Formats: sequence, C-alpha cells, structure tokens
Amino acid sequence: MTVNNKTLTPKMSLESMSHKAVYVAFIGVFILFSMTAEGFLNFDNFSNLIANKVVLLAIVALGMTIVIAAGGIDLSVGVSIDLASMAFIMMIGAGHNGVFAVIVAILVAACVGLTNSLLINKLKIDPFLATLGVLFIGKSVQQLATSGGVPIYLTKSEFAAPFEAITRTSLFGIPTPFLVLVACVIAVYLALHRGKFGRYVSALGAQPGVAKYSGIRVPFQLTLVFVSCSVLCGISGVLLSSTVRSYVPLAGDAFLLDAIGATFIGTAISKERKPSVFGTILGVLFLAMLRNGLLLLGLNFFWQQVGIGLLVFIVLGLSFGLRKRAE
Amino acid sequence: MKLQLFKSDMNSNGYTLQKMAIRLGAFAAFLGIMVFFAVTARGFTTSYNILNIIEQSTILGFLAFGITVVFIGTGTDVQKGGIDLSIAANAGLCAAVYAVLLERGYGDSLAIPAAIATGLCVGFLNGFAVVTLRIMPLLSTLAVMNIAAGLELAVTQNTVIGAASPLLDTLAFGKFLGISALAWCLIIGAALMVAIVHYSPVGLRLYSVGGNVEAAKSVGIYAGRYVYGSYLFSGFAAGAASILIVARLSASTPGTGLLLLPVLAAALLGAVFSRRFVPTIGGTLLAVLFIGALSNGFQLLGISSYWVSGVQGALILVVVAVTSFAKKS
Amino acid sequence: MNSVAVEMRDVSKVFGPVKALNQASLTIEYGTIHGVVGQNGAGKSTIIKVLAGIYRHDEGSIFVEGKELKSITPKIIEKCGIHFIHQDRLLVSTATVAEAIFLRNEPTFGPFINHRKMNAQATELLQRYFDLELDPTTLITDLSTAQQKIVQITRSLSQNAKVLVLDEPTAALVTKEVESLFTVLRRLKEEGIAIVFISHYMSEIESICDTVTVLRNGENVGQVSPKEVGIEKIVTMMTNRDTSEMYPRRNVEVGAPVLEVDNLSLASHFDSVSFQVGAGEVVGLAGLLGSGDKEVLQSLFGLLPPDSGTVSIDGTSHKFRSPVNAVENGIAMIPEDRRAHGVAVNLSIAENITLASVDKISKRGFVNRQEEIESVDALIEELGVKTPSGDMLVRNLSGGNQQKVVVAKWLSCDSRVYLLDEPTVAVDVGSKIEIYGLINRLAAEGKGIVFVSSDFEELAEMCDRVLVIYKGEIIGEYEGSSINSEQLLAAASGKKITINRSAV
Repeated sequence: MTVNNKTLTPKMSLESMSHKAVYVAFIGVFILFSMTAEGFLNFDNFSNLIANKVVLLAIVALGMTIVIAAGGIDLSVGVSIDLASMAFIMMIGAGHNGVFAVIVAILVAACVGLTNSLLINKLKIDPFLATLGVLFIGKSVQQLATSGGVPIYLTKSEFAAPFEAITRTSLFGIPTPFLVLVACVIAVYLALHRGKFGRYVSALGAQPGVAKYSGIRVPFQLTLVFVSCSVLCGISGVLLSSTVRSYVPLAGDAFLLDAIGATFIGTAISKERKPSVFGTILGVLFLAMLRNGLLLLGLNFFWQQVGIGLLVFIVLGLSFGLRKRAE
Repeated sequence: MKLQLFKSDMNSNGYTLQKMAIRLGAFAAFLGIMVFFAVTARGFTTSYNILNIIEQSTILGFLAFGITVVFIGTGTDVQKGGIDLSIAANAGLCAAVYAVLLERGYGDSLAIPAAIATGLCVGFLNGFAVVTLRIMPLLSTLAVMNIAAGLELAVTQNTVIGAASPLLDTLAFGKFLGISALAWCLIIGAALMVAIVHYSPVGLRLYSVGGNVEAAKSVGIYAGRYVYGSYLFSGFAAGAASILIVARLSASTPGTGLLLLPVLAAALLGAVFSRRFVPTIGGTLLAVLFIGALSNGFQLLGISSYWVSGVQGALILVVVAVTSFAKKS
Repeated sequence: MNSVAVEMRDVSKVFGPVKALNQASLTIEYGTIHGVVGQNGAGKSTIIKVLAGIYRHDEGSIFVEGKELKSITPKIIEKCGIHFIHQDRLLVSTATVAEAIFLRNEPTFGPFINHRKMNAQATELLQRYFDLELDPTTLITDLSTAQQKIVQITRSLSQNAKVLVLDEPTAALVTKEVESLFTVLRRLKEEGIAIVFISHYMSEIESICDTVTVLRNGENVGQVSPKEVGIEKIVTMMTNRDTSEMYPRRNVEVGAPVLEVDNLSLASHFDSVSFQVGAGEVVGLAGLLGSGDKEVLQSLFGLLPPDSGTVSIDGTSHKFRSPVNAVENGIAMIPEDRRAHGVAVNLSIAENITLASVDKISKRGFVNRQEEIESVDALIEELGVKTPSGDMLVRNLSGGNQQKVVVAKWLSCDSRVYLLDEPTVAVDVGSKIEIYGLINRLAAEGKGIVFVSSDFEELAEMCDRVLVIYKGEIIGEYEGSSINSEQLLAAASGKKITINRSAV
C-alpha cells in the first residue's frame, strides 16, 4: 500500500482549496447581498426567486449536466424548450386535453434530442456543431410557424384550466412546479449517481475509447443522453408556457449560457471536477442569487448580463486553470 | 537506383479522387445555385445587385476572416481546437463604442482607435482564457460573447445610436472606378489577408500550429503566441468590421450578434473549396459571397427571410458532415 | 574520416529513486551508423533525451567534436548540427512537402515566402540526397510513412545536419519501405554523416549498424560490432539474465478449445486465418508491422468486422459486428493504447473495473455499491494492485498497475478469451514481469489467450504456440520449447530479412 505522499499532498491541498472556494464564494455573496441589497433577505423574495427563476433553469441545467458529464454539449436546449412550449400552447389553443398536450410537447422536445443524436452518431458531427446547426434550424422553424416570431397568448379564461392545474396547485403546501423540480432532481440523481446509466455516462465523458473497448453501446447511450436532456428541457418549456400562459418564440435561448454556467460552476465543487446534480443545483442557486442581488442593487438587465458573463468566465477559469495545475 | 516509395494501394487513389469529387461538387453547387438565381430571380445579375451582394458581404467577410484565422491557428476540430463565438458580439460592442464616441463629439481620430482597442481587448480576453487558463475555447468565448453583448447593451441602452463623420460618409457613399468604397474595403482586405496568410512565413507557421501543435513546437515555434495572436486578430477584425457596420447603417444598432451564424457558416464552408480541406482566405471569401448571394437570391425570389437561419444551419451540418467524411482516412 | 562527432562520457540521470542512467557513455563517429539497443527501461530514451537537451544530466560530460558543452538546450544542440527524427511523425499533415521541409526556415522574398525557390530547393534536396523525384507540392497526408520519414530527414539535412538520431525509424514501416530507408541511410553515411539508430528489431541492427552500444539498467555494457559478435551475443548483453528470471514459468494443462477461428478473412488485411486456442493455452501471433496480426485481433474483438469466416467460443459460433457482441460472448481485449482504450485515468479504479460488468452488480438499473466494493476489493487483492482503496483515481497508478486494472475489468465479467495487444509496451521491466505473471494466472484459470507482440523474445518465452503471420496469412506454427525469437523473426519477415547490403 504505497502511495507517494510527498507528491500528492500539495496537489490535494490545492484541489481541496479550490473546491471549497465555491462554498466560500456562495456564502460570501449571500452575506454581501444580505447587507447591501435591500429586500434580499426576505421570504417573499426567496420564494419568488425559486418559483420564477430557479425551477425552470434548474431543470434545463440538469439536462445540460447529463450531456456535459458524457463529454458533450447541447447548444440546442433553447430549441427543445421553445418547441415544447410552442406545441403545448398550440395544443391547448386548439382545445386539446391538458395531459395530452403535455405529452405531445415532451415528445416534440424528445425529437430535438433524437435529431442531435442522429447527427452525432450517424453523421459523426461533433456535439457542438451538431447542436449549433439544430439551434439555427430550430430558429427558422419557429419563425416560420409564427410568421416571424409573433407570440401566442392564451390569456382568455377558457384556456386557464390546464395552466392553473400546473402552476396554481400544490401538495402539502408545496407548489406543483417545485414538486416537478424535486422529481427531476431525484430522477437525474438516481440515474447519474446511482444507476448503470451514470457509469456509462462518466466513462463516455472520461474516455470514449475505453467505453467502446469495454463493450458499451456508445451510440445508444449517447442517444439516451441527448434525448433525456431534451425531455428535461421540454418539461421546463411546459412549465414556462404555463407560467406566462403564452408562447414567446426564441424565449428558450436565454437559458443556454446560464445552464452551461451553472453546470460548470457545479463541477468546481468536486475534486475530480465532474458535473454533478448537487453541484449544478448549487450553481443554479448561485446564478439566481447573483442576478436577484444585482437587480435589487439597482443594476439593469444589461449589467446583469455582463456580471453573469464575467462570473461564468471566472468560474471556468478557476475550474480549468486549477485542474491544469493539479495535473 | 530510384526509390519506390509512393503509396501504391488503390485505396489512397480512390480516396484522393473522393476528395476531388467533394471539392468539385462544392464548386458545382456554388455555380449551380448562382445559375439558378440568375435564371429565376429577376434582377439577380444586374451590376447594381451584384455590387449590392459584395457590399453586404464586406462586413460578413471581415468577421469571417477573423474567425478563419482562429480556425487556421487552432484547427477546425471545434471541440478540441479553437473557435471564437464572441466575434459578432465583439463587433457589436466595438460599433457601440465607436458610435457613442462620435455622438459625444469625439472625432474619428479618437473613436476609431477606441473601437479597434475595444476589439483587441476582447480578443485578448479570449486568448487569455484559451491559452493561459486553458478553458475550452467554445465555453470561454461563449462567456465572453455574453460579456460583450451585455456591455454593448449597457453602452447603448439597447437603442439605435446614429453616427456621422466624414470617413463614414466616404465609406457609405464613396465610389472609385465605379466600385463603392465598401466593396473596395473587401477587395483590399482580402488581398492583404491573402498576402499575410498564404504568402508570409507567419501564415505558414500559423497553419502548422493549427495543423499539428507538436510538430510546430518541435521546430521551435512558440505555439501559444500564435494562438494568442489569432484571437487578437479576431478581435481586431471585429473592430475593423464595426466601423463598416456603422458606415453601412449610419448608426450602431442592436442585433449585430446575430451575424455569428453566417460568419461561422462562411468560415466552415470555406474549407470545402480548398485543396487541403483547411480554412483559407480565398475559400472564406467565396463562401461569404455564396451566403450573401443566397440571402439576396431568396429576397429576390420572395422567399421568406425566416428560412435563412435554417438554411444556414443546415448548410453548416452538411458541410461539416461532408468534410469530416472527406478527411476520414 | 572516422572522427568523433559526439561523445557522452559517464552520464548519469536520476528520476526520484530510479537511476535511469548510471555512468553511461556513448561515442558516435562521423560516417558510421551507430546502433543503441537495450530493453524498455534500459535508458535508451533517457540518454537520447539528455543529448537532445530535453533532460539535464546529473553527472558526466558531453563533447561535440571534442569540445565540451557546458549547457545543453534543444537550440544549442540543433546549432551543433545534431538533429532528431522522432518516432511519431511530427509533420503537419495538410502541409506540402516543401513547406514541411522549410517550416521556420522559409526562403523569402522581402516579407513573403518565395514559393518557387522553396519548391525548387526541396526538389533539389530530395534529388541530391535520395535520388527521389517527389513533387514538392504533394501534401504530407498523401505520402507513405516512409516518404514522411524521408521528408523529416530532408528537413534536418536542409539545416546542415551532421548527426542524425533516428528513434525507432522503422516502426510503422513495411519491409519494403525499411529496405528503401536503409538505402537512404547508407547513402547519408557515405556523405560522412553520423547516424544514431535506435531500434527494437535486432535483425535491422545487424544489417545496418557498424557499431552498437548496448545499454542495460542505465549502464552501458559495451560497444561492439554486430557483424563480428552476432546478434545472439548482443541479446545476451542486453538481458544478462536467465530468461527464466524474466519470464516466470507456468505449468498448465491445455484443455478443450475455447476459441476456434475458422477461415477468417478481411480484404486487404488478412486472408483465411484459422486457429484454435485451448483452455489455459497462450497462443502468440508473430508478425511484423502491417502483417495483419493486429487486424486479426481487432476482428476477433468486433472492431473490424471480417468479410467472412466464423469465430467460435466454447463451441458456439459467432459473428462479431462490434465490441458489444464480443464482450457479451466472453472476449476480452487488453489494448495497446492503454490510456485511450484500456483505462479511463480520470475515473476511479472501481469504476474502471466494473465498467464492462455493471450489469452483474446492478438491480433494475441501480448499482449495488456494497456488492461493487466487495468484488473490486477482492480483485485488487487477488491481482495485487498497489492502492489503498478502489476509490483512488487510476491516474495515480503506475503503468503495470493500470494494466492490472484492465485485466481486473475482464476478470470481473468472466471473459473466456483474452486478446492481448502489446500488453508490455511502455512499462518498466518490473511491471513486465508482473504482467507475465498475470498472463500465467489467466492461463491457470483456464482462459484462452491470444498474444500479439512486436517483442518476439517475449512471444517465444511466454507462448505455448506461436503462429507466424506474414502478409495476412498464417505461414508457420511453432510449438513448445523449440520456439526462439530469431526463428520467429526470420519467418515473420518472409525469410527475406537479409537485406541486400550491396544495394547502393
């Protein structure tokens, strides 16, 4: 049992420092906002924050976490969200049953993931470019379907029932959207950290060649990865359109950077810098808190975007820079 | 005695033929679409329209040259190599800086260097992230894209900022030998780029860094500096393009970031026109004109502009699938 | 003009506790081809890296043309005219021949490259040194491996190289190309250039080298002329041990066939390959590079689906279209490129070991951690993987221990047939012995083993039977204690290894 302690100790300390840094930053920013931003430390603010900002982003980020854990990336999350949202609103608008509309919406989203995986598996296009292509095709599809991006509003009371069933109901006082998030978190956690699927995903992420040489069905697993990401985005899309009772074309694009950012902030808490469900949720909370705090401090949307961009940049820098050092 | 060392197996010949076929196919597709538009789209071949296409292509061309240099210096394997997703947003930011400075009464002598410097700063940030911090380029430049886009909005408050200066007038309305100033910019810019990229030692070394980093390092080339340089150049190209953007619209307007897709499409498409299937200035220029002609032809034919983004996205997918197929040995 | 070009005197280099070089010396004369031989870990690559200025030596001195070099950097060495042709072809595949030759030394016209002059000079250099007519605008990617080597050599010559160090230049070359390369080297020798030739292939050393420096455990055990002393003597100098020390014996009764390969063919790779492997039997496939030995292995693992023929395991015949089928039916692969295909170094030992057998420790899609820990710990114990726990990252293990993890992965899914592709490549002698021990253990458990290696001595010592494969066909079979490596090499090269020395 000989482990070379001399060479391991400094690495360990650098690594452990770096992954504690995220918690320190989280708590630091929290305290900072509590002291400076009026109305930050307030129950209504938090519940509002979670209901409106956290739930939707967290579900998308969970999907992104699966893809990034498998060594890929999905730039088309916005398309999955939007198309699901569009399908859902159109179905409801056409007077269909709410449950049926949800199922169709999620199937539409799943098709986006299927398209991605076909491009990746069959045409051997790498995930980045494949999902980029799908991102832009998805944009055209939405423009064509909505004559250039005209939103569909379903504010009339005759359509209210299915939306209220999703957003206004609760179980033991916990609102349904939040329950959906909890269900997604548990499902992804079990699949990624407790299930066989997670083993395949991390092998793909760590070294696809090894996965192939171990007899793993790589194309099939990749399909599962991309479809599950899209399905999660679809769920988020349904929640989004139920909340705003409308479909706004291209609204989903706003989730892309935040989802990537949250996932990579999340990797910073693990020693091996792997994406994890817990890390991603922490990342989502961090981003939401930051955005909320900056808003309460009086920064407008534009500066928030700069702030979030800078933060993601710094986290990526820490994550990659320290990994480089540790190796 | 003569050495017999040529690859003699049939496979390699078939493979070369295949490459040739793909390349010729690309040219044929290009020509075919041009002929199609010439025949069906009324007014496509008028000299006014052709100049219009070239003018429209100037801005796209400058940005595409920037990203082409990044591709040359880092390889086109996007996941492992490099990319600059921030270039269009960067151009938007530079345009905003330029227009705001002009509006506040500073002259071109200050506004132009400021715009270029802004572009270089963003380029430096990308280089720093990719080379020094070793962040995956597509992630770091995505983050930088958001920073630049946010700064643009913050500078302009999301409004149109009108700008005027003698230089802008010349660029917008000037003509020389019957060719407009913007078209001259593209011609001169492309000629300079060809000279640097294809005829100077720096260009050759940049290609070697992108083609095989280890090989470049083994002959004593400082690869990191070249990658830094390519991102800086990309930032510079964004700065230069921003002046043309303001000249063409007489203002800085939100939405420059949307140019990212056609720019990426052009830079990726350009490789299909080259013998080595690598990004080249000539290939990028051809691709830029192709994309310009495509949206122009669509317009003349009365096809909804909503198709444009999808067609460009599909074009990227086809081109990447075909080149990866061609490169497979 | 046999004057000394380079002399390395009593050079030592220590890495942590390991003495990689211990007072080793190397003297290279102009106009000669000087071989450097030794087993993996004998210090060959270390001494070359010291000469290249990549490693700093701890003791000793280095003289170039009689003058001592105080500080050595890659740049200084290049200025002295000493050039290195690395094993991996360090060329830009999308460059032209002329660009590859003159990269960073481009002939210019003002600020621009003078393409015409560059191409003309390239043509002239290739003509002058190699009598080779090669269009200088040909792309590197369209050249054969031998041509690429020649382009690299030409690049060095264009910078007035006086000493050329070739590291395993014939790896990845087919026999015919080797002959052409040797013709080139002899021509350069006659021009007075000193050539250092590093190779594993003893027959090549014998046919091309004037003198050979033999290294063993970081010390040089002598400088001899291969034509005078013969290869056998050199091999003894290299190993200096009873082969029984290096190669542990095993005593396994060979059982019923586990693997039967019948008429396996794959166009332009191999043709009508048939053989059997019994339980507990180690069967070697001996072939030179490009002979098809590796491709047979890849076909058996489903990576290169064969055109025709069948593979039977325990009497049931299969057609493997992908590794998925192969693994399911009990075939295991120990791949050559361990880091790319064998172990994921950033995953834990346990995750690696159970990767191919997650099904066995899972219920309804969930992994049973307790069961996993137990089975992993048992395997770690059994194979003697040096680690405090299965949760350690594989990255922290030595090469030999990483190889044990690969074996453990397959043991955990009860594979019947083990395909070994160069299992001892790039591991030190100690780990090699451990890996041989692993092979014996697998045999003792009644597994069938197919062993591909370019180290024929290893094949001769470890295998019950060795099949010689040449140009995709099995042309000979050797059995039992009668196998020796010279015999295998002669057979594997189609009995034509005696390269015509009067070619120039």
